[in-house]
Amino acid sequence: MNELFAPPGTDWQPVSPALARLRRALVLVAAVGLLVVLVVATLLFSLPWGLWLPVVAVLLGVVVWGWVLVGRNARSWGYAEREEELYVKHGALFRRLVVVPYGRMQYVDVQAGPLEQAYKVASVHLHTASPGTSARIPGLPAAEAARLRDRLTALGQSQAAGL
Amino acid sequence: MTRQQPAERPFKRLSPLTPLVRSFILVVAGVASFWDDILRGEFGPLAWIVLAMLVAGAVYGTASWLRTKYWIEADELRVDTGIVSRQSRRIRVDRLQGVDIVQPFVARMFGLAELKMDVAGGGSGEGSLAFLSLGDAQDLREVLLSRRDAVRAGLAPERPEEPEGPPQPEQVVARLDLGTLLLGLLLSPETVVFAVLLAVLGGIFIGFGEIGGIAAVVPVLGGFALTQMRKLTAYYDFTVLTTPNGLQVRRGLFERSTQTVTLPRVQGVVVTEPLMWRSFGWAKLDVAVAGTGGSDGDGGPSASTVMPVADRAVVMALARTLLEASGSPDPDAVALSPPPPRAKWVAPVGRRFLAVGIDDHLVVSRRGVLSRRTHVVPHARVQSLQVHQGPVQRRLSLADVRVDSPPGPVAVLARHRDAHEARALLDLENAAARTARSV
Repeated sequence: MNELFAPPGTDWQPVSPALARLRRALVLVAAVGLLVVLVVATLLFSLPWGLWLPVVAVLLGVVVWGWVLVGRNARSWGYAEREEELYVKHGALFRRLVVVPYGRMQYVDVQAGPLEQAYKVASVHLHTASPGTSARIPGLPAAEAARLRDRLTALGQSQAAGL
Repeated sequence: MTRQQPAERPFKRLSPLTPLVRSFILVVAGVASFWDDILRGEFGPLAWIVLAMLVAGAVYGTASWLRTKYWIEADELRVDTGIVSRQSRRIRVDRLQGVDIVQPFVARMFGLAELKMDVAGGGSGEGSLAFLSLGDAQDLREVLLSRRDAVRAGLAPERPEEPEGPPQPEQVVARLDLGTLLLGLLLSPETVVFAVLLAVLGGIFIGFGEIGGIAAVVPVLGGFALTQMRKLTAYYDFTVLTTPNGLQVRRGLFERSTQTVTLPRVQGVVVTEPLMWRSFGWAKLDVAVAGTGGSDGDGGPSASTVMPVADRAVVMALARTLLEASGSPDPDAVALSPPPPRAKWVAPVGRRFLAVGIDDHLVVSRRGVLSRRTHVVPHARVQSLQVHQGPVQRRLSLADVRVDSPPGPVAVLARHRDAHEARALLDLENAAARTARSV
């Protein structure tokens, strides 16, 4: 890990491995969906089955590529709670590090869509008065998300700074 | 069943001329179109209809005026309106971000003004009183702002007070003369880009012998002229004053507007120096104020502008005044450093104009080829910090450092710094912001 994205004193907390599983499931579902469309199209318009080899090869390539990419991205997420700030880093290709002081926090969102609920994860989103602040942590285990939300809210209240 | 009637309050009404001003255009149009008939005393059926509409409008307007009352009660400005369905709006004085006075053209002819209240998180139509006499509007603004400060300081007086004694001293700190404004608009980047574009297009048309093609350019020319005219009328007689409530901006040819910048709410400033202005030593100053995140990016006049064009020294003096809450630091005193030479691979032209610097009070960044913009944010107003690094930047060991501010014109961004320096910059600014917050 390079120095630019080094952890601020404490180690980076990784997100749940369920995030990678969830996104890989999405990749597979999309690939299978596309395959079904292709089969239907082939049957309906009686296309030659010879088209299949390159199409399936490309699809397989995309799935493998997506698989690797999702894994790299999920591993890239990390957060660290310090005394006065929350640090969040993510991105494998385009890397980002965000530092949000608890005192600047306006509110905290915890979101879990149906798919996320199935994988028992949630995302925590920290908002400041600036719309540019992109402090979002996806794929937290549900209990950890709730703990983080409560801790952030408490710290935000005790350290609140005026605009 | 008796309903408890509230005790009589010392309410006030809007100016009785309000209905006339609101429907002035209609009245004038109605009278003008049937002027001949009126003179001859012969009313056609159409004239009667218009007359009836005017009378109905007058009755409605008068009723509406009678029903509209405002008064200050406890820590609220209360506004009751409505004829059929009644509305009662309460605006808490301690929630006021600022109070602006606007004088649309017609209102100005009658010496009237509209009072616009900026409420945190409120829409534009939230708090507005139209119309008051200019004197009343100014008095009410003073009362509202001083009560707000009193409430915020925890010294709320028992009951509303009328302003006592002579009005607070106001001092003009900068005034824009017409010549500078005209030359400034003429030499603005928009005009220069437009002139070049026009010359190229004209050259092409003439070169191909299609003189008639120039006609296609006319509407574009008209649109551009209109934008510049809007700026000219909006920035006309631009005056900046210091008042007890902050820095006040008065501007406008037809529509006069008065805006007060509450100094403790200033989030940062931007000094813009277009290429063509630099030989004159001119600059433009914009301010970001919390709660007034203006995104009016149509190239027209902007409410965030505190000085459209002035000598750099004047602009910097104004900037120091605006940064008063942070101890009036001088943005020019911050030592700026450019990114490393290898940044030329990602920013071949812009690299020479990029710079960033941090001192005890401020974080400053500069960028822009045609228009050099210096963004200034006090440490105490930093929201959050970010480091970004794309794949090309990673190969060159470069990174961007961003300072997040509330919505507005200010965005400190240090592009293409050395990666080691970028992280050091982030940690340094973070420490500075932490210290500034805890003060």
